[in-house]
Amino acid sequence: MTAGAESAPLLAALERLGAQVTDLRVPFDLADAEAARRLRQEIADQLDDYMLPRLRRLDAPVLAVVVGPTGAGKSTLVNSLVGARVSAAGVLRPTTRSAVLAHHPADAAWFDERRVLPGLERSSESSSDPASLQLVRSARIPAGLALLDAPDIDSVVSANRELATQLLAAADMWIFVTTAARYADAVPWDFLRAAVTRGTAVAVVLDRVPEGATDEVRADLATMLTEQGLGGAPLFVVPETTPHDGMLPREVIEPLRGWLHGLATDATVRANVVRHTLAGAIRSLGGRVFRLAASADAQADAVARLRREVDDAYDDALIRVDAASGDGSLLRGEVLARWQEFVGTGELMRALESKVGRVRDRVTSALRGRPQPGTELAEALETGVEALVRAAADEAADQAGSAWRDDPAGETLLGGDDLRHGSPELAEATARAVREWQGYVLELVREQGQGKRATARYLAFGVNGLGLMAMIVVFAHTGGLVAGELAVAGGASALSQKILEAVLGDQAVRDLAATARADLHRRVGLLLEGERSRFTERLDAVAVDENAGTALRAAVQDIEDAR
Amino acid sequence: MSRLLRGRHRRADLPSMLIALDETLAAADGRIDPEVAGRAEAVAARAGERLRLSGEHTVVALAGATGSGKSSLFNALSGADISPVGVRRPTTSRAQACVWGVEGAAPLVEWLGVPRRQTAWQHSDLDLAQQGDLEGLVLLDLPDHDSTATEHRLEVDRLVDLVDLLVWVVDPQKYADAALHERYLRKLAGHDAVTLLVLNQTDTLNPFAAAVCAEDLRRLIDEDGLSRAKLMTTSARTGAGVDALRVALADAVRRRRARNDRLVADVEAVADELSAQVAEATPAGIGGPERTQLVQALAGSAGVPVIGEAVEKSWQLRSAGVLGWPPTRWLRKLRPDPLRRLRLGAGERREVRAMVRSSVPEPTPVQRAQVETAVRGVVDAAGMGLPPRWQEAVRRAADQRAKDLRDELDVTVIRTDLGVDRTPMWWRLTGVVQWLLVAAALLGAGWLGLLAFGSYLRLPEPKTPDWHGFSVPTLLFLGGVLLGLLIASVGRLLARRGARRRRRHAEARLRRGIEEVADRLVIGPVEAELARHETARTALDRARAG
Repeated sequence: MTAGAESAPLLAALERLGAQVTDLRVPFDLADAEAARRLRQEIADQLDDYMLPRLRRLDAPVLAVVVGPTGAGKSTLVNSLVGARVSAAGVLRPTTRSAVLAHHPADAAWFDERRVLPGLERSSESSSDPASLQLVRSARIPAGLALLDAPDIDSVVSANRELATQLLAAADMWIFVTTAARYADAVPWDFLRAAVTRGTAVAVVLDRVPEGATDEVRADLATMLTEQGLGGAPLFVVPETTPHDGMLPREVIEPLRGWLHGLATDATVRANVVRHTLAGAIRSLGGRVFRLAASADAQADAVARLRREVDDAYDDALIRVDAASGDGSLLRGEVLARWQEFVGTGELMRALESKVGRVRDRVTSALRGRPQPGTELAEALETGVEALVRAAADEAADQAGSAWRDDPAGETLLGGDDLRHGSPELAEATARAVREWQGYVLELVREQGQGKRATARYLAFGVNGLGLMAMIVVFAHTGGLVAGELAVAGGASALSQKILEAVLGDQAVRDLAATARADLHRRVGLLLEGERSRFTERLDAVAVDENAGTALRAAVQDIEDAR
Repeated sequence: MSRLLRGRHRRADLPSMLIALDETLAAADGRIDPEVAGRAEAVAARAGERLRLSGEHTVVALAGATGSGKSSLFNALSGADISPVGVRRPTTSRAQACVWGVEGAAPLVEWLGVPRRQTAWQHSDLDLAQQGDLEGLVLLDLPDHDSTATEHRLEVDRLVDLVDLLVWVVDPQKYADAALHERYLRKLAGHDAVTLLVLNQTDTLNPFAAAVCAEDLRRLIDEDGLSRAKLMTTSARTGAGVDALRVALADAVRRRRARNDRLVADVEAVADELSAQVAEATPAGIGGPERTQLVQALAGSAGVPVIGEAVEKSWQLRSAGVLGWPPTRWLRKLRPDPLRRLRLGAGERREVRAMVRSSVPEPTPVQRAQVETAVRGVVDAAGMGLPPRWQEAVRRAADQRAKDLRDELDVTVIRTDLGVDRTPMWWRLTGVVQWLLVAAALLGAGWLGLLAFGSYLRLPEPKTPDWHGFSVPTLLFLGGVLLGLLIASVGRLLARRGARRRRRHAEARLRRGIEEVADRLVIGPVEAELARHETARTALDRARAG
């Protein structure tokens, strides 16, 4: 009964699913994320621990896991079945902390190698390390059946609960042990319901039943089992006795032992149990993987949502800066005042006169202790653009940062960081970018004026004067100005434009203005891109595959097809 | 640690703790995690209700897992088979009460929500000898908290919050269940004084095993944060330990402190939780640089430089109208008054102006951006070190009236006396002098004209007076013209200086008005928010100190 040709495609499909599930990333703490991570672990464990090994070797011994609440007497039961103290029993709860696997010596080969439960370290001694698996050979266990003593499912030791859950998913069959005091506990019933949905074969042992209560309790439990869809499960009652040397009296466990032996020796029955549980497990896989796929979709949606928030915010910021720098309003206020000084103090006109004028200006500037109006105009333009970019970046950061903070996924990415402000380097970077842009405009003017170097007009204004005028033309598009200012600011740009056209030619001025404006747009775009990357880098770092959900669903379809 | 040091040795002042808790919640309303606030409000409300009910009674609940023997213990303590005992799980599905000392207990039992038919009344006069020591006890037998019956768990959750003293009954099979430790005991950390653990069914173990078991349970309880809670062992079946439990309960009833201790522990627990919702210290407030930057940005956006310049120009124009040489004054009429163009002109009465808007240009995007950045700076400085929700509140406070800034600034600009309405006295005097000089020049010119006409007609030249050899009409004409021109140019110089002074004054006045607007619309609300935080913080300190 090794894996036949007919199960090869199924095996391949399951292996593919296993790889996909393991690779799935659930980085965001969305509402269902914790459940999704558990589910991912659970599915991966079940595939590795049970389905894949079982499918490869259908003839391997039946693995029956003894499971139940803490203090139910699981270890005592296993010891009694084995006939030796292989698992520690005691009054301290929880008693068992690592798994014990008891099997017939002839089956040793199946369990020594890491065919089942590959994640657990094999040992021959008892330990309390949840990552170890104690192997016990016993001739009293029938060949073809192995008993696995699991830790409890409900104590305060959460490692126990996790290990038990993993062992349960790996088993061909559950021997569910409960007691007269515990049979109505909520936690074990949650596990039993999981067994029903997964189609796992279950036998129930009602342990530690006080004298005289057997009939009443047994009837009550049988009713509950039927209600939960486990009416067909065999039910064994073990009365409360004082264990002798840690063992239950032989006659007490005889019905259970007989049943287990019957199961182990009849190959057909055994194969039926194995196939039934395996088919149930594969069947139940679909629903769980679909749930996982939904969570994966939610994660991918979160990435898209967060990215959209950031893009919206920064696209708006760029539009805002563009609008403000293109409508001429940048020329009002400070810039306008500096322009008036530039023109009004006669610097522009004096520049016409010759170098004497410039020398005189320098002298006057030095005496007055203030910079030349031309420098101030350049600075005013710089501060204006800088203030615009900074406010736009701050607002975008605020918008995107707040949206992220209100989003559980965004909160995960932010950690404790607050990104609701522009980065500290922004002011410096903006100033540099504007200066570089101004340098670029001067360079443009110089290039345009290449052939006109010699003309008197060009010499008269110099590259710097023409460059400033070019910048004024770039910012003065139309509109945005009111009444009195219109004349002046409009005049400023009109005058600039006229002079430039006179020196460079009108087509050249139009080209120059367009090129300079495009360059400013590009530089501001780069600045904002840098700001945006504070968000997008975090998004890219989580590397959520947006198609993971679809791929998972396709994998389930493959498994359905292969079955 | 702090809780270990305080409380136990003195009676905490519960009423003032509750008042302080209420103050905290009122001040922090909407600025803390709503879940925490909800829990704190529930505790405050519950404490208020319990304090109004009988302080002569102590409510003790027996809680525990299904099958741990709560009902058996309950019956053993009450000395009667009140609560049904059985092997089917779960057995008890409704809370059962037994009251010793009926006086005043009825409203209490009603508040606990235990129906009358589920309540047994132990009249003290019946068997005084045996039961007198429990006078004032209200004993509750709770349903289980861990069976498949969810409604039992809900009932337990409800009553665990209400009772004064909790007795958790556990058995050797279940003492380490997650359902007990994770769902209940860990959440009751700090309630050591009003928590008692009873390891029941010790008859199923030998004495040695029972001792080991109790020790292990002790370890788990310590890990749950209840290291000073009392642990007892009993067996309801054999009666071992039941008397000791009874004595412990009688002691609690006699001392009548459980009610207070329970409520104090509740308040301390929520106060500890609340303390994470406020900062340890309220930020110092808004610093000078942020305020200056805000006023600066607002001044720019209100158009102060534009107005200042207009004031200067307007003053110069007006001075030229008064001090200028009268024959050329009409020239200035060709130039418009820049202040009038902003509708802030001199002579327009301020009351009338208050009704219209000024024509100061709308703030440019750059100016708006500067205001935004400045407001952000104020918010950041004020919210430094506050928890996020408080920072959010500070920002809301700053933004709340920020949309009114534009209008308020404009009103301030309109209302501000720019100091250009008045005409200085020396202007008028100089004006009169100018006219006199013109008159003198005209007189001289007329006189000279008459003399010229007379000489043309060859009339005998009348005697013209002279002054140091200069003919008076010539002096009048030349002196009038030259002096007039001189005074006009000196006046222009003086008026230019005056105009600059006017500009400074006007700008300073505008700035004061704008500072007032900044304080009222941005800084005031932000500081009010900080004051609110301070109120919440100090009140919480009082709630924690008891």
